[in-house]
Amino acid sequence: MNKQGSLGDRFAEITVILVTVIALTAGWFYKSGLENASVPFEAEGISAQAPKGWLNYEPSGEELFRTVDRYSSGFSTTYVIRQIAVTSEATTSEVASAVALGHAQDMLGFSMLDQQEVRDVNGRNAYMITYAYVESNPDVTHAAIPSVVRGADFIYVSGERAIVVSYQADEENYDLDLGRFYRFLQSLDFS
Amino acid sequence: MSESKAIHERKHIWRDEILLIVVMCVFVGIVYALDGALKPQFTPSTLLLTGVFLALVPAFIWLVFFYLQDRAEPEPKGFVLGVFALGGLFAAAIGIPMTDGLFRVSHWLYTDTLTTILGGILVVGFTQEYLKYAAVRYSIYNSDEFDESTDGVVYATAAGLGYATVLNINFVVSNGGVDLGTGIIRMAVVALAQAAFSGITGYFLGRAKFESEPVWWMPLGITLAAIFNGVFNWLQGTITQPVITLSGSTTPTWMGLVLAAVVALTTTGVILWLVRRSIKSLQAGK
Repeated sequence: MNKQGSLGDRFAEITVILVTVIALTAGWFYKSGLENASVPFEAEGISAQAPKGWLNYEPSGEELFRTVDRYSSGFSTTYVIRQIAVTSEATTSEVASAVALGHAQDMLGFSMLDQQEVRDVNGRNAYMITYAYVESNPDVTHAAIPSVVRGADFIYVSGERAIVVSYQADEENYDLDLGRFYRFLQSLDFS
Repeated sequence: MSESKAIHERKHIWRDEILLIVVMCVFVGIVYALDGALKPQFTPSTLLLTGVFLALVPAFIWLVFFYLQDRAEPEPKGFVLGVFALGGLFAAAIGIPMTDGLFRVSHWLYTDTLTTILGGILVVGFTQEYLKYAAVRYSIYNSDEFDESTDGVVYATAAGLGYATVLNINFVVSNGGVDLGTGIIRMAVVALAQAAFSGITGYFLGRAKFESEPVWWMPLGITLAAIFNGVFNWLQGTITQPVITLSGSTTPTWMGLVLAAVVALTTTGVILWLVRRSIKSLQAGK
């Protein structure tokens, strides 16, 4: 009656593993499909494919687009596109300095991690600044411990405007979410 | 291995399962009432320790009942505790890193109903149910101590409670402690649900060992347990959604406990019926 170690038992064991692997693979593809799903955004001659299912905010001032992943843990992963008016002689490094100064004034514990000229995922010239700050919730009764946020800004100068594309995520999620941000950056078009 | 063992039914298992459900509900009620009446103040460290202690309670209750009643033909205590520990170890070493780290389910699982159900089954369900199955299959299953078809339910329940305990401890630690009232309800729900789903796998394991089942038998068991797991997760999320009224908002966390108790009782009832039917059929063919 006890058939342990039989050939049938071995087959059953292998089948269980196979079924589990198939289910997990299907789950992985389903997850990837959800993460790659996007919705189009277009304003002021700038277009991009934004992640589907995120919270989009109304444009405000220089800020043309802000989308937030409501399901990310800690500080919610955020993409922002800003358009800043500049003179035709302005360089990307000058704009980057102004952007960094603005961050230093607005963000608690702001710390610049790196700044350099780069070619982005589409081969366009950009200036990249990476930084960290502490999420400052103005609500004094807010019980949660503040989050350390890491950010990266890609700055492009196009004629008399600079386009600043920002990525901000909780320190723990920054590297994990970076690939998705690069896909967003790749879809960005302002020509 | 004697045939008489395989057709023997360790009757107190069903009592243990039902007592676990009833005593858990009573225990939750007492803790909830005490929390409301005394409104205890905790320091961060005592809150954390209390949460961890509460996470251990469901498994402790089940193990106490099991040992008190398992006197006629006792299972080796070390084996039951070992499978319990293995279930917990698999959860900590593989299950939680996989669902939370690799699949990052909290980022996408609750996007919509279809995703909650599909992701709950394919990722969370299969990961958890396979690991609980593995905790039994690769430890006690080939031992001579696994000598009754109901042993599948016993050891799978132990693995399930081990898994649930680690899930609850992980929840407490990652949140720096839990609110006593809602925390104990969550822990009871997780423990009852995990024990119930493990019971399904355990029934299939028991029959796989002592009867000539086809090759798809065990995969069917894991798949059924995973489906129950995913659907339960969605149902629980749906019925415990906060309700906004003119007088404020309320979260019906109690409904989660009611659902878990009903699922656990129903699963136990169905498995009991299936085991008895299987034993009768074996006895008839003896």
